[in-house]
Amino acid sequence: MLSNFDFSVIPVSLPFIWEGLLYSFKLTITAMCGGIILGTLLALARLSGGPVLSRFAAAYVDTLRSIPLLMVILWFFFLIPLVTGKPMGAENSALITFTLFEAAFYSEIMRAGIQSIPKGQVNAGYAVGMTYWQTMGNVVLPQAFRNMLPVLLTQTIILFQDTSLVYAIGAKDLLKAAENTGKNYNRPVEMYVFSALIYFIICFSLSMLVKRLQKRIAIIR
Amino acid sequence: MIDIKNVSKWYGNFKVLTDCTTNVAKGEVVVVCGPSGSGKSTLIKCVNALEPIQQGQIIVDGTTVSDPKTNLPKLRARVGMVFQHFELFPHMSITQNLAIGQIKVLGRSKDEAIERGIKLLDRVGLKAHANKFPGELSGGQQQRVAIARALSMDPICMLFDEPTSALDPEMINEVLDVMVELAQEGMTMMVVTHEMGFARKVAHRVVFMDAGQIVEDAKKDDFFGKPRSERAQQFLSKILSH
Repeated sequence: MLSNFDFSVIPVSLPFIWEGLLYSFKLTITAMCGGIILGTLLALARLSGGPVLSRFAAAYVDTLRSIPLLMVILWFFFLIPLVTGKPMGAENSALITFTLFEAAFYSEIMRAGIQSIPKGQVNAGYAVGMTYWQTMGNVVLPQAFRNMLPVLLTQTIILFQDTSLVYAIGAKDLLKAAENTGKNYNRPVEMYVFSALIYFIICFSLSMLVKRLQKRIAIIR
Repeated sequence: MIDIKNVSKWYGNFKVLTDCTTNVAKGEVVVVCGPSGSGKSTLIKCVNALEPIQQGQIIVDGTTVSDPKTNLPKLRARVGMVFQHFELFPHMSITQNLAIGQIKVLGRSKDEAIERGIKLLDRVGLKAHANKFPGELSGGQQQRVAIARALSMDPICMLFDEPTSALDPEMINEVLDVMVELAQEGMTMMVVTHEMGFARKVAHRVVFMDAGQIVEDAKKDDFFGKPRSERAQQFLSKILSH
């Protein structure tokens, strides 16, 4: 059975795979940066916004966390053209969807991080005359971010794996590139194996990195 | 300088402060003492509005603290505060701790802020530790840095919230020494503490609190000589008996 495999398709596929991988990275990094920024704002709104703002943030986070990502991807992709009147393309649609979706998850992480900072630190910031935003920006968030770094990175690894779901709307990510070359050269199984291997190597090395980071942070504390 | 008028405060239904009235004049050192849970820490936190009050008025240097129109950051920048648990910023070096408020709040240049910070660090005897992080210092050293941080803002008065309560006994004096020096230079100070030696040495007045009320507000000599209230007498006899 295994002798039927023909891995000579792999060198041929490399340029396509590379292009797909670049998009997967772009999607991951965009959703990570945008998600962390938006998520932090949501966490702040939830913790110290007024009743309206905090309820909005809570509803946003709880709703998105209760819907499967695949459905959000599909809905957003099909709804936006209906609202705006013109299609925006699978790649751009996925970038926005992932940022909005991941924000909900990063928000919960940042909320835990912010709550882990003792009230005394906030008071100390206020006592030297800092405003709310100065206290958050200089005192609370840097510490919260540092405490939560391993969890944020773990969430990012999950995010990277989840990017493969965009193949459902035809965005050309790593999985889609592998699928397409597999079809073109009639070697689908080989290409699925190859792409799985790439996902594994990247995620596994990142996990190792997070583990080492966790140890270092433990020492600093 | 600090005027506390008929202040009451509730946590939910629980009344923590009842009709507290006292004041701290310019250049005066007022020690607030009393048993745990008497509300003394809460009262001092109300002075720079870290805790809101529900009734009464607190006026600091002519500014009404509880007025919603008051620019609190601006007011707090002029009131130095030292906390029981130091509350240095652990992710910043000692120098950064001393400079951050000056840069972000007072708008001083980085060089100016660092120079002023180092000068104050030298004053509390810790110049050699400028590049360390708070976690690398002892409790007493951290608290001295915290005092220097408060002083770096050129405050018009200083609030101390049990500055030595979290310290090992052998470190208490190094912090008290800094405070005594400050008092002798004429700094206006409101100090919540159990250190009666400190109170005897530098306080002008002693305020004794119990169950959220100011039970006694007397000149130092009157307070230690013969407190009027029975509750204060009991308190004193307990903490001075050994």
